[in-house]
Amino acid sequence: MKKYLSLLLVAFLLLLSACGSNESSGESSDSLKIGALFPLTGDLALLGEESFRGVELAVEEFNKNGGVNGKEIELVKGDAPDADAGQAEANRLVNQENIKAIVGSYSSSISFAASEVTERNGALYWELGAVSDSVTDRQYKYVLRTNPPASYFSKVNIDFIKEVVTEKLGKDLGDIKVAIAHEDSTYGTTIAEEAKKLADSEGIEIVTTEGYSSSTNDLSSVILNLKNANPDVVIAVSYLNDAILLARQSEELGFKVPVFIGNGGGHTMKDFQDAVGNLADGLFNIDFPQYSINRESTPGMDEFLEMYKEKYGSDPRSGHSLTNYMGMKVVLDVLSEVGEVNPDKLKEEALKYKAEEGTTATGWGVEFDPKDGQNQKGSPYLHQWIDDELLTVWPENVSVEEPQFNK
Amino acid sequence: MTILQTLISGLLLGGIYSLISMGLNLILGVVRIVNFAHGEFLMIAMYLSFVFYSTMGLDPYVSGILVIACLFILGLITQRFLIQPILDTPDTTKIFVTLGLSIALQNLALMTMGANHMSVRTSYQSSVISIGELAISIPRLISFIVAISVAALLYLFLQKTMVGKAVRAVSMQRQAAHLMGINVKKIYLLAFGIGIGLVGLAGSMLTPIYSVYPTLGTSFVLIAFVVVVLGGMGSMFGAFFGGLIIGLVEALSGVLLETGLKEAVYFAIFILVLLFRPSGIFGLGKGAEEVG
Repeated sequence: MKKYLSLLLVAFLLLLSACGSNESSGESSDSLKIGALFPLTGDLALLGEESFRGVELAVEEFNKNGGVNGKEIELVKGDAPDADAGQAEANRLVNQENIKAIVGSYSSSISFAASEVTERNGALYWELGAVSDSVTDRQYKYVLRTNPPASYFSKVNIDFIKEVVTEKLGKDLGDIKVAIAHEDSTYGTTIAEEAKKLADSEGIEIVTTEGYSSSTNDLSSVILNLKNANPDVVIAVSYLNDAILLARQSEELGFKVPVFIGNGGGHTMKDFQDAVGNLADGLFNIDFPQYSINRESTPGMDEFLEMYKEKYGSDPRSGHSLTNYMGMKVVLDVLSEVGEVNPDKLKEEALKYKAEEGTTATGWGVEFDPKDGQNQKGSPYLHQWIDDELLTVWPENVSVEEPQFNK
Repeated sequence: MTILQTLISGLLLGGIYSLISMGLNLILGVVRIVNFAHGEFLMIAMYLSFVFYSTMGLDPYVSGILVIACLFILGLITQRFLIQPILDTPDTTKIFVTLGLSIALQNLALMTMGANHMSVRTSYQSSVISIGELAISIPRLISFIVAISVAALLYLFLQKTMVGKAVRAVSMQRQAAHLMGINVKKIYLLAFGIGIGLVGLAGSMLTPIYSVYPTLGTSFVLIAFVVVVLGGMGSMFGAFFGGLIIGLVEALSGVLLETGLKEAVYFAIFILVLLFRPSGIFGLGKGAEEVG
């Protein structure tokens, strides 16, 4: 019996590999195929799907306006709940679906793994949302990224402390005690480490750094360590589950801090506010552009919101959709210039592409660094939860409200 | 002061782990099934609790009885139609079935409820009892007290009632129990039903503390397995104290060592127990030969 089973398995494997090497002719005459790799199931599904919606909307709008020389763009979805799946799905898209350019991917670990595959196969990986610097630090030939990376988040943290917090707390920069609590995947670790480096160079004291797993059931030890360090500022990098725990358990354990700065992820989401209610009030949060923002700097945002509501029947659940929408529009602009999905030509055209700050739906400009493919003209903004809303409060050109320190 | 507060937080967390692990342990001891879908039943219980709250405005503690009833019935159905047919198959089959059920339930939740984190907001969710500088969270204290009561009640049920004795007999010697006229299938149904019903209770207790989302179960079920192995398979008090120990270990290692190392520490304990005392600390020596 066992022998037959193994024979059957071998036959099955052979069949699979035969299918795999059987190159299908990639592009039909009436559409250009682009891969879209996001975590659509699993732990990251919520924001993964939100990110994908932005891409979907940009493509729909583009196809409605005639596509590229009459050819429509067709998105080929890949679902990558984690890094391993990201690698496998990228492989499938590139080698079986014959895709030459992939956009993605919300999660840095997925992006990092999947872009290894595309680089080896000479396909383009265009990142629209993952923030870890490691994605572009490798200086791969076929990697581009439109959104600002984590190190830019860290910079906003430190700049804000330097330029605003010192004055509001009436302390010198050297006297401000900063504590960091971060989840320990690439996203949290990168922002934390960059912030430490920047703080050191500015002479800001980091009193403690607490790393923890984002799927944890309990953060009491993290909070007690923070409480002991008695900081003026907490820089937190959290996904949703831990952001909720951090707020609720801080309240339970009586830990209060004058200035709390979240860094996107969970601290941006409506679900977070729903879960913790007024505990969110006054928390700062650095993230991609949200929707309560100075519209003069973000042309096209209102149209995006209308389209979103029409298609999905609700307001966006976070800024991820907007960021991916803006990024995808850049991809499609570049693709229009090139006229075909050719990685080399797309990269070349992307490096020529320029947009000024304040001309896109996110308010970012576009200028790719020829060395690593990172867009240098985007930056996350600082928001604050005020009366159950996340308002942009800093820097001034995009803010709708002054940052408040009356906690 | 910090250590004292850590001990309290750890104990309260341990109470939550105990509550989740007792049902798992009962099923393991009697039906001899490693239920990998245990965490998903917890997730379902919390969604039910949330739905009762958002549609009828029932407080999670009030709707607890309904949730337990729903989960008990769900346990019966699972046992009758999924577990019973595979009882005599090899272990690998059993693992695949419960693991498959776990993945299916997660994705079912994703389809029906979406990936959002849903939370119940109660007036008491952040309320604490303060003793000097120490803080004891009220919802966590309630679930801790419930865990103690459940452990005691389960013990009494298994030791003092006729049905409880039958359950223990089946777990010790299935064939012999059958010859003595005990309806083994019924006992299995009952054990699985109670085991899952207990998860329903755990879910109701956790709803005021945690928000619920489709993959919530995964973060608890691994710990529940560690607790069961540590406490000894089939032992109710073992599961109870095992939960407390793991909760304490998690909180203490976070404060004394590194917060990132918490998980590593209790899994190291898990491996050590498996190596040196496979029947668990409170187990009676010969693996899962005993329930009570």
